[in-house]
Amino acid sequence: MGRVKIARKSTFIDMTAMSDVTVLLLTFFMLTSTFLSKEPATVITPASVSTEKVQETNVLQVLVSPKGQVWLTMNNDTSAQWSNAKMRVAMLDEVTQLYNAQHKNKISFTPAQKATFSKLGAFGVPLSQMGEFLSLADEPEGLTKMDQWLAGEDNNPKHISGIPIAKENNEDNLNEFQLWIKAARQAGNDNLSQAMKDGAGVAIKADQNTSFDIIHMVMDNLQTVRQNKFTLLTALKAGGE
Amino acid sequence: MAEVQQSSGGDGKKGHQKKMTIRVDFTPMVDMNMLLITFFMLCTTMIKSQTLTIALPTNEKVQNEENMSQASADDAITIIIDAKKKPGPTPGTLVVDSVNGNVVNEIYYYDGKPGGDTGMFGPGGVVLSANNNLKKSELLSDEVNSVGDHKARGIREIIQARNKAVLEKINALKKQLEEGKFGSLETKADREAAMAKYNEEASKVRKDENVKKPVIIIKSTPEASYRGLVDILDEMQINSISKYQIDNITDVDLVMLDDYRKHQK
Repeated sequence: MGRVKIARKSTFIDMTAMSDVTVLLLTFFMLTSTFLSKEPATVITPASVSTEKVQETNVLQVLVSPKGQVWLTMNNDTSAQWSNAKMRVAMLDEVTQLYNAQHKNKISFTPAQKATFSKLGAFGVPLSQMGEFLSLADEPEGLTKMDQWLAGEDNNPKHISGIPIAKENNEDNLNEFQLWIKAARQAGNDNLSQAMKDGAGVAIKADQNTSFDIIHMVMDNLQTVRQNKFTLLTALKAGGE
Repeated sequence: MAEVQQSSGGDGKKGHQKKMTIRVDFTPMVDMNMLLITFFMLCTTMIKSQTLTIALPTNEKVQNEENMSQASADDAITIIIDAKKKPGPTPGTLVVDSVNGNVVNEIYYYDGKPGGDTGMFGPGGVVLSANNNLKKSELLSDEVNSVGDHKARGIREIIQARNKAVLEKINALKKQLEEGKFGSLETKADREAAMAKYNEEASKVRKDENVKKPVIIIKSTPEASYRGLVDILDEMQINSISKYQIDNITDVDLVMLDDYRKHQK
C-alpha cells in the first residue's frame, strides 16, 4: 500500500518585507507630524476657507476656553539668543516689573522658580499665585499637580486657572492678561516684537462654540494695549469655496 | 530574504561541510515598529492650523470727528449674527444642533441706517415697526447645477449683488489667469509667479477707490458663537470685500432684532 506522502512545509513566514514597510511608515510619520502640545483646555477651532498657514516661530498663542479662561503659549526662535527658555525668563522678569509698578503687593521669583517657568508649556495662573504654582515642581508628582491645577481638577477652590482678564479695562490700570502681552512685546526679543506688530505674532485659539461675548472681551483687551492686528486660528474647511 | 545561505565555497570534496542557513526572525522587529507607529499616530498631529488675519481699529477715542471714516448710508450693510434661541417659557436657552452639538447661529442684515431714513423710534421713544428694515438671511454654500455653474445663495447672494463691480473685475482677472495672460502655468515656479501677479492685480481692484463697493459692518450679539463670526469673515474673503469692520452691537440693533421676532410669529 503506497502511502501519500505529505510534504512537510516550514511554517516560517518571512517578515523582512513587512518590516521594511513598517519602517517606511514610521519614517513617514516621524517626518511629517508634529507633537500635540499639552493644553489645559481642549478646543475645536472653527473652519474657514483661509489657507494662510500659521507661523511656527515667534508666535504668542492665546488659548481661550469656552468658559472665558485664558492661557498663553509661546513658540520662539530656535536661535540660541532667544530660545524658548530664555525668552520665557525675560518675559517673566518683565511682567514682574510691570506688575510691581502697579500693585502694592510686590512679587518676586527665585531662580529655581524661573527655571521651572522656562520649561512650562501653556501657562496661566494669577501672578499672585504664580510663586506657589511654580514651587509645586519640586514636590513629588509636582508636574501632575501643576497640570491638574491648570485643568481645574485639583479640588482646591483657592487655586485659579487662567490669566485674570476683565471686560472693563483701561490703559491706566491694565489687567494681568494685558501685562503679559505688553511684557512679551517689551522683553527685548525684536523678532517677536516685529511679528506682533505685523499681526502674525498673536494668535487667538478658541473653540467654535465660544460665545462672542468672550471673544469680544479678549479682542477688546488686546485693542487696549494697542495690539490691533492679530490672527485667529482656524481649521481648513472641507470643500472650500 | 531573511536567510543567508552559506556554502563552503570549495568543490565540496574536502570533508562534508554542512550548508548553513542563517535565518533572522523579523517578527519582533515588526511588532516593535507597529507599536511605534501606533504611538506616533496617537500622539502627533499632521494638520497644521490655518489662520485668519484681522486688523481692528484702536480703542482710543477719536478726538477729531472729521478724521473718522464714516460709511455713507448707501454703501453700508450691517450684518448681525445672533444665536437661535428656544421659544417658550424659558427664553435664553440656546438651540443646539442635534448632530454635532454646535450652537446654531442666525444671520440678519439691514442696508444703510437702522430703521431707514426716519429711524426706528417715533416721538416719545415708540418703536416704529413699519420702519424696521432688518431682514433675515442664511449662510449657505453655493448651489452647483448639472453644468457645474455656481450660484450663490443666502447672505452670499446679497453681498455679491452689492459688490458686483469688484467681482466682475476679479472674475475677468481670473479668466486671464486661466488663459495664461499672467504667464504660463506649466511648471510650479511659473504657476507661483503667475499667481503672484494675479494677486497683485486683484488687490489693486479690491482697493480701487473709483469702483463702487459696499462697506460691511459686522455685529454679533453676546450669545452668538465664535464660529458665526469666522463664517462671516470667510464670506468677506470669498466675496472680495475690502472694507469691513467688526463693531459693537447697539441698543437700536437689539430693539430691531426684538421687533423682528415679535412680528414673525
